[in-house]
Amino acid sequence: MQDGLTPVQRFRLREKESRFREPFFFLKIGILAFFMATPFLFRSFEITDVVLKIIIFSTLVASYDIILGYTGIVSLGHVLYFGIGSYFVGIFMGKLGWISYGHLALALLIAVILSGILSILIGFFSLRIRAIFFAMVTLAFMEFTYILASQLRSITGGDDGISFKLPGILAVDYTFGHFWGIDVNGRIISYYLIFMVCLILFLFMLRFTHSPLGRVLQSIRDNEPRSIAIGYKTYMYQVIASTFASCVAAMAGGCFAIWVRYVSPDSSLSVPIMLDVLLMVIVGGMGTLYGGIFGATFLLITRSFLPKLQVLMASLLPGAPFAIRLSERWLLYFGLLFILIVYFFPKGIVGTAQEIFRKTNSERDS
Amino acid sequence: MTFSTRSWLHKLIVIALFLSPILLISPKTYITLTISGLAMGMLLFLVASGFSLIFGFLSVLNLAHGALFAWGAYIGFTAFSFINKWTGWGGSDSVVLNIAIFFLSLLAAGLFVALLGILTERLVIRPVYGSHLFQIFITVGAMIVLEEMIRVVWGPDDEVMPVPLNFIGSWDIFDVVISKYPLIAIILGIIIYLTLYAILKKTKLGTVIRAGVENPEMVQIMGHNIYRYFTGVFAVGSALAAIGGGMWATFVKSINPGMGGEVIVFALIVAIIGGLGSMTGSVVGALMVGLSYNYVAYLIPKAALGITMLLLVVILLVRPTGLFEEGT
Repeated sequence: MQDGLTPVQRFRLREKESRFREPFFFLKIGILAFFMATPFLFRSFEITDVVLKIIIFSTLVASYDIILGYTGIVSLGHVLYFGIGSYFVGIFMGKLGWISYGHLALALLIAVILSGILSILIGFFSLRIRAIFFAMVTLAFMEFTYILASQLRSITGGDDGISFKLPGILAVDYTFGHFWGIDVNGRIISYYLIFMVCLILFLFMLRFTHSPLGRVLQSIRDNEPRSIAIGYKTYMYQVIASTFASCVAAMAGGCFAIWVRYVSPDSSLSVPIMLDVLLMVIVGGMGTLYGGIFGATFLLITRSFLPKLQVLMASLLPGAPFAIRLSERWLLYFGLLFILIVYFFPKGIVGTAQEIFRKTNSERDS
Repeated sequence: MTFSTRSWLHKLIVIALFLSPILLISPKTYITLTISGLAMGMLLFLVASGFSLIFGFLSVLNLAHGALFAWGAYIGFTAFSFINKWTGWGGSDSVVLNIAIFFLSLLAAGLFVALLGILTERLVIRPVYGSHLFQIFITVGAMIVLEEMIRVVWGPDDEVMPVPLNFIGSWDIFDVVISKYPLIAIILGIIIYLTLYAILKKTKLGTVIRAGVENPEMVQIMGHNIYRYFTGVFAVGSALAAIGGGMWATFVKSINPGMGGEVIVFALIVAIIGGLGSMTGSVVGALMVGLSYNYVAYLIPKAALGITMLLLVVILLVRPTGLFEEGT
């Protein structure tokens, strides 16, 4: 304590000193470079599509992680805000036909503001009593919005959803020219645009969790009665965290809609997506932010290879309908995996890696 | 936190609210709607009571409850088809045989799903008692696995639920159409509620369970093996979900593997409205949801779900802990 710094400030200093030396730094740079180079490395649309979905879902999962891993409250309706973001872009571009940059930005802005207001309201209703109510109420609201989206055909297009065109350089038929043998069209430009937006959101979230506010959130997660005793209104902080995460999720949803140029209740606002997000955050590791990247990578890559695996199974096991049916139910294995991970790797990939790294580090130091 | 001095005023307002649709709907339709609303409420009660009991006693937010509900519907469906093929009771004219086959299939569903519940509690939930976060994850995992197992065993498509011959149709009393099955559902719901209430209030077992809702450690100190009670309550809750599933399936005449997902949300809302861990609360909450849903579905079809959410929000604002206390 002789230097007169608080533990947080000392932690910051140490982090600043070793920022460029720790091995994770190179991993981060590597991942970033990989995402940057993807359209040029792989010239197939399918792979670019999977990689960009990984980027978008990493952002979504990281925003969910702020609620779950950093604040310690369980939301089961986080995808609701993702859906709001998607739907506003879809309605503005598709239903209303206002295809211009200004309207795209306006759609995103309205979606973010609406998500913020909605999550403040939900937080106000449910976090006030018990944190567990939050899980139930968010789930109820998501289910309600899902049904609303599939019923209000005149606005949301019902179960069929809305497919739409995008303005100017984001449109599919736009071409900019050739670079290193690649046709720079609207797809590539939207890839980089969305990548940039997600990167900014991610950095913003990193800043958020490392801010004094983020520290308070972690203290609430670790010991709520104690934080109350110190004098924090934990309820207010929980609402702030969930509102921030919701706004980020709405932006991620808008990006998703811009990329797939289509929005429907099942593609961006359903319980299965919420389950995916939960699985991603568990696989990657709670309370790490980076975990989302690994979780999303694992899940989306497995998912895009599963149909091929099913064809293989069907050809290997002809005349055994039960076995084929068992192989078709990949969600079953995800469910089992889910349970097993919670039992045996509750920290997930990144959490476990960090722990191992910290252990070897402290052994070396002592 | 009880309904104290002005309790009659609250009750009066609530009753007046539920009578008010009569101003907009003709009395005959009102009665028909009320009966189907009460039936829906009673079916919701069966699901929500199990959910609420499990939450109150084990403090486990059991998201797998919906999947157990769907299992109940499927087991009921299979048992009904099997018995019907064997004896033909479902298609016979005799009311007694119709009731017999209906109850036998419900019994089969209840027993089987109770076993499934014991298995789930023992294998999946027991290792994570005490950690809310992991409990939610674990029950989500259990929900996925149970729901997918239905798809593996019965296939992913919808099935038509068979209904006993005498349960179909309606009576016509003074030009008021009263469907038969909803009435049966209401009576059965009342019987189950009274049984549960009697067990909880009048027996030693019920006293232990109510004490466990209040303070599990103390119950353990008094020499009761609380884990055995946990398993028992989970089994009963699962059986209630299964019976609810079987009856719901007969009500809507079709079953599909994802049916639990929609109902679990209603069960959540009912349990929150009524107060978690309270049987009377579950009944009142379920009836409120069922009635308001039916009235609004008749007046403004698209707002039916909205009224349920509105009810939830109003209750959360006015009485955040639900209408009734735990253990009542």
